[in-house]
Amino acid sequence: MFNVSREFAPPFGLIAPYFVIGAIFYLIASFVLMTFGTDITHFDIGVVGWAHLFLLGFVMMIIFGAMAQLVPVVLEVGHFSVDFYYLIWPLLALGTVLMVVGFWLTPGLLPYGGMMVLISMLVFLTDTILTLRKVERISLTVKTVAVTNAFLLLGILVGFAMALGIGAGVGIDIGKWLNAHIVLVLGGYVTLTIMGMSLILLPMFGLSHGFDERPINLSFKIMVGGVLLYLAATLFDSGDFRFLALLTMIGAMGLYLYQIWLIYKTRARKEADIWFKSMVFGYGSLALSLPLGFIGVMGGAERVGLTAAWFLVMGFFTFLINGHLYKIIPFLVWFERYSPLVGKKKVPMLADMVPKKMGEFQFWFSAGGVAIAGFALLIGNDEMFKAGAAFIATGAIFLVTSVNWMMKFGKEEMENG
Amino acid sequence: MADTITKEQVFDAIRKVIDPEVGFNLVEMGLIYDAIIDDDNNVKVVMTLSTRGCPLHQMLTQWVKDAVKELPGVGEVEVEVVWEPAWNISMADDNVKKALGAL
Repeated sequence: MFNVSREFAPPFGLIAPYFVIGAIFYLIASFVLMTFGTDITHFDIGVVGWAHLFLLGFVMMIIFGAMAQLVPVVLEVGHFSVDFYYLIWPLLALGTVLMVVGFWLTPGLLPYGGMMVLISMLVFLTDTILTLRKVERISLTVKTVAVTNAFLLLGILVGFAMALGIGAGVGIDIGKWLNAHIVLVLGGYVTLTIMGMSLILLPMFGLSHGFDERPINLSFKIMVGGVLLYLAATLFDSGDFRFLALLTMIGAMGLYLYQIWLIYKTRARKEADIWFKSMVFGYGSLALSLPLGFIGVMGGAERVGLTAAWFLVMGFFTFLINGHLYKIIPFLVWFERYSPLVGKKKVPMLADMVPKKMGEFQFWFSAGGVAIAGFALLIGNDEMFKAGAAFIATGAIFLVTSVNWMMKFGKEEMENG
Repeated sequence: MADTITKEQVFDAIRKVIDPEVGFNLVEMGLIYDAIIDDDNNVKVVMTLSTRGCPLHQMLTQWVKDAVKELPGVGEVEVEVVWEPAWNISMADDNVKKALGAL
């Protein structure tokens, strides 16, 4: 029988920087969005810089911080060495800054930033792989962690090769490998990780039981197949395979959405708190993104495809991550400051440790911004896009404020004894 | 010889243990399946958790143990976590179901 003991649970001081720095990168990236118009493409170097700021500084930073806490929970064994996580965030943060400056201003910095990011991820992968070797019960989530980490390794190696290509003149066909890099990291790591984690976290927080898990099992296999097919399409330069791979991934995500519906239907906890609202908007964005992605792929409609990517990244990824911050941070703070006091004095409930009004402001500004800017991308209206971005930036201010509020909950009381 | 501890006393002691995520005690959540008490007042609590991946697993079982140990005259206390039958909301008291919106 496995228990998450204090020895397995990482110290609060180790994980806290991931959430604080991740939220700050999200704030910066949200403000930078206001400088873009609707004519952006993923080949535009300004957008590439922003994508790294957002995906490395915010998405990966928060995922890694969450993994420090969640790996023992989902793998049912302790970390090989949780101390590795002391190294990951400084390397990732500095590497991200150097890469972004490299993309925007000084290409010569790219290999250095890329190397730092690569090392940070190799440290993460080393701990995860060595932890996986201790696992005895192989569940779907365990398989997810193993496969996603293999995709992450491939994705960052391709990314590093491209950083060398741009910054140090190493010969690599960036036009050919950029999409494979995106699919490996976003499809192979971020999406599959979210799929695996959501199977644990959504039923845990929603108290869902007795639902059929076959759709997500199938969806996971199809998604892995789609990513591998896309990799093969890149290697063999096959447009047909690439097309088929994209449709496969869209199908897999559709099946995953069906699984989420099954979990939603069996939930016992009906409270519409900020976490629940964020999940609804996140999965709603995914539901919108999939048909748009299908139309974009089938019709070769770039603007529709761009809008699909917008709702996938800014709606689905972002709201799932931000929504869970309102669950994970209070738990970490409670575990650190209040769990030793249980039975000795009255301790707060986790729900008391969430800034409800700030959370609501964060949610509504962010959701409104994503919807407005997404619609603007579809119709090509620059002013509307900037207005949407301004809403998102306002929401980001509330997010940073909320994270700060949750992190400080009870700190003063503890310091004063 | 101390008085024999009853199952009701054990359950009442565990009512002090609150799940901080939902705000209800473990007994009204329906997470405590049984309490087996032998002639020497050694107690074995059989319980479950609302999810296998519960990050409070060890702390909750420790709190249950600590709560039962406070009973006067109690002997050894053991807590066993089982996954069969799996917990579901129908096992919770009506006040819990009502508060969560499941009733």
